[in-house]
Amino acid sequence: MADNPLPGPTSKHLIDSVVIPRRDLLLGGGLIVAGAMGLTACAGGSGPSSSTSAAGTAAATGGAGGGGSKQIKILLWSHFVPSYDKWFDTWAKQWGQSNGVTVVVDHINQADLPARTAAEFAAKSGHDLIEWITPPSAYEPSVHDLSDVVSEAVAKYGDQIPFCKFSSYNPHTKKYYGFCHTWTPDPGDYRKSLWTDVGMADGPTTWEELLTGGAEIKQKKGVRLGIGMSSEVDSNMAARALIWSYGGSVQDAQENVTLNSPETVQATEYMAKLFKQAMSSEVFSWTAASNNQGLVAGQLSYILNSISAYRSAQAGTPATAKDIYFLPALKGPTGMALASQHVVRSYIMPNWAKNVDKCKAFLMALLAAAHDGTYNSELYDFPAFKNPTVTTALDGWLKKDPFKSEPADKLDLLATAEKWSTNVGHPGPANPAIGEIFDTNVLSTMMADVARGKSSAKDAVASAHQQCETIFKKWRAKDLVGGTK
Amino acid sequence: MSRIDADTTSAAIRARPARRRRYALERDGVLGSLMLGPAVLYLVLVVGYPLVLAIMYSFSDVTVGSSRFDFAGLATFKTAIHDPHFPAVVAHTFIITGISQALVVVLCTILAFTLAANFRGKWFVRFLVLMPWTTPVALGAIIWLWMLDSIFTPFNWFAQQLHVIGPGEQLNLLGHAGLATASVIAVQTWRTLPLATVIVLAGLSSIPRDVEEQAEVDGAGFWRRLFGIQIPLLAPVILVAVLFGIVFTFTDMAVVFILTGGGPGDATQVLASWAFYKGINGGNLAVGAADALFMFPVLLGLAIVVLMMASGRREKS
Repeated sequence: MADNPLPGPTSKHLIDSVVIPRRDLLLGGGLIVAGAMGLTACAGGSGPSSSTSAAGTAAATGGAGGGGSKQIKILLWSHFVPSYDKWFDTWAKQWGQSNGVTVVVDHINQADLPARTAAEFAAKSGHDLIEWITPPSAYEPSVHDLSDVVSEAVAKYGDQIPFCKFSSYNPHTKKYYGFCHTWTPDPGDYRKSLWTDVGMADGPTTWEELLTGGAEIKQKKGVRLGIGMSSEVDSNMAARALIWSYGGSVQDAQENVTLNSPETVQATEYMAKLFKQAMSSEVFSWTAASNNQGLVAGQLSYILNSISAYRSAQAGTPATAKDIYFLPALKGPTGMALASQHVVRSYIMPNWAKNVDKCKAFLMALLAAAHDGTYNSELYDFPAFKNPTVTTALDGWLKKDPFKSEPADKLDLLATAEKWSTNVGHPGPANPAIGEIFDTNVLSTMMADVARGKSSAKDAVASAHQQCETIFKKWRAKDLVGGTK
Repeated sequence: MSRIDADTTSAAIRARPARRRRYALERDGVLGSLMLGPAVLYLVLVVGYPLVLAIMYSFSDVTVGSSRFDFAGLATFKTAIHDPHFPAVVAHTFIITGISQALVVVLCTILAFTLAANFRGKWFVRFLVLMPWTTPVALGAIIWLWMLDSIFTPFNWFAQQLHVIGPGEQLNLLGHAGLATASVIAVQTWRTLPLATVIVLAGLSSIPRDVEEQAEVDGAGFWRRLFGIQIPLLAPVILVAVLFGIVFTFTDMAVVFILTGGGPGDATQVLASWAFYKGINGGNLAVGAADALFMFPVLLGLAIVVLMMASGRREKS
């Protein structure tokens, strides 16, 4: 019986129960819709993002669209140090009240900012001020020039730190597409006890020492180094710091692509060696929080990160926090030592923004409140303008951390951070091409490919160089990037 | 004509359009069109318009920061194809979709048969099976990200207990190309399995009982009935379930984006996540749209296959 072909009536019964003409239409249509929605989600710019209104203002009714005549809507990241957001939301609300404006503040995860911003620019509607923590250079054509705000800020508070300027200013078009008000150093965070055991109580000072010491710690204690090579910001910054310290760079000061150089190849080979001897494959899959978590969990001997990891440890694992100390950028073979600014907070004002004057006044007021902002970020944010009131206070706090560091001067090293920090486009500006290279993880993927043995350093650098050239060419055609090659 | 006749006639004349409207509504063509109208409008606005926009973008040099739209011909597609990562990205898309859906075919069939049987706590098991489908993709992917975290994953503990790895060692499930790909496949299987199971379960319940009874009377055992009757009868339904699964997996970017970020290196990068990185994160909307459009022929082909299949069966019936 079981060998018999399907009996007619049964077959018909099943077919009838599953498929009728209208269902055909719905079925095919459903597939097309599902597929097309997938396609358009990717192409159209609605990525996975979530937002919460943190201001608690009564005016949160407007959502992201439009904007009333007496309202400023601000989109910014959820700060790694939550106390900043708490302060900012209250401060912004109060500023609004005393200036006859309702300020609506929306915080979202920093990883969701690109998708959310792209969606708002596609809709030509949304927030009046959007803050990014990496240079928002790609949005230059559709944002207000903030030269007047910067000029006023310079006149009032002092010069803007050059690398902050080049994270918000395009020298090719001479436009301030953003208003950079703070930056964050990216020191080395190391576990003193572990490095003391290998004869480096003050931690490594060169990349070479990092390799020898890190490998020894891994061998003796089973504790790894944590320098990422994945699709996240810290990995991208680490790759740049290493390349710069070896004398290489993505572009020169005139915005010509220069990635494919013996120095970059050497740096990439070094990273592969560092991975094999002192790290584990976890670094290929990290998110921006992973190295923080590893350090706080006591599983990493050295990471490149801001002080947020340390602050987390202070709150969660005080014993580990006591053991965490900081180092400046590591020196490469030529003695060059540079680190990327970890976070560079810049506001952009889209062309659709209403109340432009009020928005500019808000930015100036935020700068005037930099003292409180820096304090409430628990010294995470450093001022981008050399306002003596703030820099003097900051120097004092770094010498004696008001947030209970042990010893109290643990953060003092960060007072020198300006000397060994630079923008992601170094030695040129953080132009849109640099932004695309950064955000599509060209350098961290290049490093990972070599470390995983997928390709040689020479090939990987040549391939990354080709990608960079393509990207530069495109933005150059839009007249947003200088240089010729 | 008497006054009464005149009134009756004018009332009849007035009533005619209303009747005509009522009759028109009773016609299948008119009523059908009216009822389909909102759905069609929805599709045009929510799917059609963005799709056309994506196609336009892919032939332009548009970026996230500028609404300026210059026709670029096929240059954008050339840029997309010449990217050194592109061939690997396409291969990963097919590998992840193919393996995950092959697993779904086997698992959904087993699950459907299990859930069709009578046992204690069946409703609870059904509830558990459906859970992944009710969980938003992004949330599910984040949960799996925590589960597979290099440091905090519980799988490290299990592997250490089973002596697969030594004390203090880690699996690094997302750090190795093979394991990361397997993890993405597992999550895609986990998330598309419930829908496939429900579809197959519905198909299973539609198999006439008399066929099975007849087979039993004829002495056919479980396996004979399974492979000789039930699975052949279910094949069209399984195919439909799998086709939906293919579409959902092929176009999904959230799992890869959240779980691996395309890494290690580009080992798990798929077309959808690649398009997102290029188009949204990188600001290169045109290339992002072009990358995404490479999925379109496959999806169109799938839709055609389903429609042909359905049409063929209709003719048969």
